[in-house]
Amino acid sequence: MLLHESLKSSAYKYPHKVAVVYQKERLNYSEVDKLSDALAFKLLDKGIRNGDRVALLLENSTDYIVAFFGILKAGAVAVPLNTQLVSRELAYLLNDCSPRFVITDSAHQSILKGLIDPIYVLLTDKGDCPRFAPSSQGHWDAGALGTGAPEANSLAMIIYTSGTTGKPKGVMLSHKNLSANAHSIIEYLHLKTTDSIMVILPFYYSYGTSLLTTHIMAGATLVIDNRFIYPNVVLDTMEKEKVTGFAGVPSHYAILLRKSALRKYKLINLRYVTQAGGAMAPSMIKEFLEILPHLKFYVMYGQTEASARLTYLNPVFLPDKFGSIGKVIPDVEIDILNEQGESAKTGEIGEIVARGANIMLGYWNATEETSKVLRKEGLFTGDLARIDDDGFIYLVARKKEMIKSGANRISPFEIEEVVCGMRGVVECAAVGIPDEILGEAIKLCVVKDGVNFTENDLLLYCKRNLAAYKMPKVVEFVASLPKTSTGKIKRSLLTVGSVPAGD
Amino acid sequence: MSQINELTEVDIKKKIKEFIKNNFLLGNDSNLQDDDSFMGKGIVDSTGILEVVSFTEETFGFKVADEELLPENLDSINNLTAFISNKKV
Repeated sequence: MLLHESLKSSAYKYPHKVAVVYQKERLNYSEVDKLSDALAFKLLDKGIRNGDRVALLLENSTDYIVAFFGILKAGAVAVPLNTQLVSRELAYLLNDCSPRFVITDSAHQSILKGLIDPIYVLLTDKGDCPRFAPSSQGHWDAGALGTGAPEANSLAMIIYTSGTTGKPKGVMLSHKNLSANAHSIIEYLHLKTTDSIMVILPFYYSYGTSLLTTHIMAGATLVIDNRFIYPNVVLDTMEKEKVTGFAGVPSHYAILLRKSALRKYKLINLRYVTQAGGAMAPSMIKEFLEILPHLKFYVMYGQTEASARLTYLNPVFLPDKFGSIGKVIPDVEIDILNEQGESAKTGEIGEIVARGANIMLGYWNATEETSKVLRKEGLFTGDLARIDDDGFIYLVARKKEMIKSGANRISPFEIEEVVCGMRGVVECAAVGIPDEILGEAIKLCVVKDGVNFTENDLLLYCKRNLAAYKMPKVVEFVASLPKTSTGKIKRSLLTVGSVPAGD
Repeated sequence: MSQINELTEVDIKKKIKEFIKNNFLLGNDSNLQDDDSFMGKGIVDSTGILEVVSFTEETFGFKVADEELLPENLDSINNLTAFISNKKV
């Protein structure tokens, strides 16, 4: 199935059902379908061809959704880009995926200056993308695309994730990958047309994309609010729009529990919440459920490389299995393989390896990286886990040394590469340190040479070269970095206490 | 902690600007207007706003209630100045 056919199908079955709520705007399925048709025609008029990449640099909005499906309908590949990135970071991604067009708005246009020829930039708020003026060419149909229309295995999206090498990797997901995973998620969350989800997670991450694909496929409603900085505003939206679902990473739940008026809200329409993006303390889940006992709390686990989801914990088992990521989702298979490549015994630690229609095609422009994780046994996730007597899976550790801060995965190597480019820095190491709200905050240990610079100089340099969420919260100047005999930095030593100070 | 009742609105605004400049703008506030939205300008994130709250509580000596964590109270230099000034007794 092609992913945009799910929109067509929902528009056919529920044309007047509200698909998206954003600020004062409410678009029904028929409108989203027609607007994205019109955009697809616009792209075809501009000469887009099957497999061309179209980058999306937009906050979550109705425009994002229209653009996303318009790109797919034109047979092109949607590449959502993180709107928090600075110019240097965007330049790398644009160079890597070489998009035919970038769809953005006036607010984000300036950052593209010098990175891409302006004639390839389409502005949603300046009439470049049709708004309520559906194309005279009428409805999109496969015939209009001529030959070479996309197939189920065709590339639909590239989602960038932080790579272990410090360079982001483009995860290639096909129509089939995304559709199959959306089906599985709809099944275990029991999503129906009557459901509506509070969307605070950005669509440019896999978790956000999965909210989009599942709800459009289910004929349900997406309620977008990008103001989670002020959680009470989002809680008001949840009450007002009577949402039935909420999705967040642990830091979102920490903020709701510690820094919002959650206890004053009843949220009687809220049926369930989902949590992914790292381990959440069982005590926090319990506290959340004490405030809202009528909810089903779904703990989930996955990877961008798996189109989003691999396992979930059925809420029925939550009280007995706190700390577990549950069992495999429908239509996916999982093995825990020990170092010998054999299935791990109960209690034995091994790597999670997954197979299914949701597993990515590979990494964009990175055959070698792809062959490291996509092997004959399936997708090697790099996550270590064990299984208990009842078959429930528990994550033990991640093989990759990613820092998990809020909803972001941050490669320490990327920060280190940038900081080492600063004059006067001999070497440095970035590590995650525990943070009550974010899960992890970034600590940067820096070894200076004779050049004198201050912490503020260093932070200014970081600010110019790194997105705000990659900024170190703690900087420590040290005389040297602790290393193993093979010269590898002992990161675990840097996360606790202080190392001998440098000058 | 300052005695909020002894501060004028001008004093309060000055302290706020100093804090925003040093904590979020690394000393350069040339592009920030008093009525610019912190959220709209991408100056603060979820944890940044919590730092604004801690600063407000410590500097002006009152507790910001969870229900008061709203853009109309916190989301610009002007909003924050008005919010704090209204706490005078």
